[in-house]
Amino acid sequence: MTAAALDKKSIYGFWGTLMELFRIALRAIWASKMRSFLTVLGIIIGVLAVVAVVSIMQGVFQSFLGRFEALGGDTLFIEPNYRLYKDYSEAVKRLKLTYSDAQAVAQDVPQVKEICAILNRQDAISFHGHHDTTQVWGTGDSFASMNSFTPEYGRFLAPMDVAARRKVCVLGHEVLDKLALSDDCVGQEIQIGHGTFQIVGVLQKKGGSVFGNQDDAVFIPLSTAILQYGQEAADSLLIQVQIRDPKLMDAAIERISAVLRRQHGLKFGQQDDFRTVTQDEILKQIKEFSSISTLVVGAIVGITLIVGGIGIMNIMLVSVTERTREIGIRMAVGAKRAHILYQFLIESVTLSTLGGVLGLVLGWGVAHLTVAILHHTVAESFPPAYVPVWVMFLSLGFAAFTGAVFGVYPAVKASRLDPIEALRYE
Amino acid sequence: MNGDDVLIQARNLVKDYPMGDEVYHALRGVDLTVKRGEFLAIMGPSGSGKSTLLHLLGCLDTPTSGEYLLAGTPVHTLTADALAELRNREIGFIFQMFFLLPRSSALENVELPLIYAKVPPAERHQMALEALQFLKLETHAHHKPNQLSGGQRQQIAIARALVNKPSLIMADEPTGNLDSATSDKIMAQLSELNAMGNTLILVTHEPDVAAYAPRQVRIRDGKIVSDERVKKP
Repeated sequence: MTAAALDKKSIYGFWGTLMELFRIALRAIWASKMRSFLTVLGIIIGVLAVVAVVSIMQGVFQSFLGRFEALGGDTLFIEPNYRLYKDYSEAVKRLKLTYSDAQAVAQDVPQVKEICAILNRQDAISFHGHHDTTQVWGTGDSFASMNSFTPEYGRFLAPMDVAARRKVCVLGHEVLDKLALSDDCVGQEIQIGHGTFQIVGVLQKKGGSVFGNQDDAVFIPLSTAILQYGQEAADSLLIQVQIRDPKLMDAAIERISAVLRRQHGLKFGQQDDFRTVTQDEILKQIKEFSSISTLVVGAIVGITLIVGGIGIMNIMLVSVTERTREIGIRMAVGAKRAHILYQFLIESVTLSTLGGVLGLVLGWGVAHLTVAILHHTVAESFPPAYVPVWVMFLSLGFAAFTGAVFGVYPAVKASRLDPIEALRYE
Repeated sequence: MNGDDVLIQARNLVKDYPMGDEVYHALRGVDLTVKRGEFLAIMGPSGSGKSTLLHLLGCLDTPTSGEYLLAGTPVHTLTADALAELRNREIGFIFQMFFLLPRSSALENVELPLIYAKVPPAERHQMALEALQFLKLETHAHHKPNQLSGGQRQQIAIARALVNKPSLIMADEPTGNLDSATSDKIMAQLSELNAMGNTLILVTHEPDVAAYAPRQVRIRDGKIVSDERVKKP
């Protein structure tokens, strides 16, 4: 044999043998399709579960992220610092964040571009015998521009509405359905809580926003809301601030803090009784929560995969026993221990990886089906499932890993067979 | 150059098997020298130790004590993996039960030793096909073993034993599962292989079959009791 031919042989050696063993594995899997399928059922279900659950969760998180990202880096919120009190109801009683605070911030913080104070209540609504509940937002005209709300019919709240404490309202789109109102309802009157309000506008369909489902909400002037819901409600507002430039965020926060401390008469060393929250912080919290819950789901599914792996080990052990004769023949014609070891190891890894692929596809299908069903039954605004690339690689990787871990013992057992005993095996 | 002619040199081969508290002496000191190109039959009743001797000579096992040189390689010192490599390179097996892989085609069965010899696919197909052609079975290359007769299956096994051009072909009761007409055909082919220069060791308890071999070694109770060269009829 020439040197070149020898060289070719040695190059073929490792990868060629690996390919050969892979081919043998595929053939063995294909030869007993039904059993192969049942063997990896645990893996399939495990991967299906992780992909379905994680992608639905990721869809929800992505939609949350989208809402807050839509706010932009120039937005911040001021809310009462509820963390000062262990008891939430006590905190609501003791802490104050009022309309005059918002006015002070607007006047004394030069970085502020726009500001609006927001009062939120859940309340009953009714129209000609149709009753329901919805979110009531007491706010002003700047709310619409800051959150890009656009009226479909009529108009949004105007400065005059707030100044004159007019009993007018703007409806989210879903409220039309809830109260069986027609598109040309502008000008008609509905009941909100114990007050009667004239409809001045209907918003375009928008879906989720930072304020939850904006389509299922009514907007009334802040001043009117304070009249309707009383002093306690007026004392715990949420203030949304838009600053002129995201780069001014730190300076703005510092200035707002100074203004509010003065407003609230806080002495040196006293803790802030308000809290500023930026988009960055909210995004960070959502991402944190997202990764924690993904981790929890991952751990649960990891257990499922271990159970699946035990199933694989079980069947591989049976398979090794059944194929003792084959192992004997291979050894007699020159298979080394490593050949037999890798043959069975590759078989279990291939098997579990195929199970992982199947689980991935089914999980993707189940996730989208679930979302579609939720969409049609529970919530029209339910976000679509989102399958991140890392979930695909992670689940496939974990499936392959499971096959490798649980395939080792049967493969080692196969490779340690004595050729003579193996050939004699009936 | 006398040493080159000797393929097998076994000295005082002993094989013991533990049987509970006792020891079963399967081989009690066997000396055997086989030259290249020889055709010998090892004969003996069951329990005589002829299978144990076949396993030792076929490098499927190592002796408890004694020396075994195969083509100059001290087999008695080798590890399991080195034995596997030696079997792959130097020995072709033919078994009573054929021992073909049931899910693989005739061609793939013949290729099997070449896979472990790391022969690339194209070369491998060619070599396997040539071996099948030698046995006039190339038309059955893509049949599965269960689509073939017993005689054909044994011929596939012979092709597999030949394909890597080993120094030694070991046949363990190759006709034990065949009718007499087919047996004659198989034995004629094995004789032909020997005539072409292949060294052949045949293990059998049937005198008719052993009669094809010019050298007959009889074994009883783990010892060689006779070793005679017979003239062919």
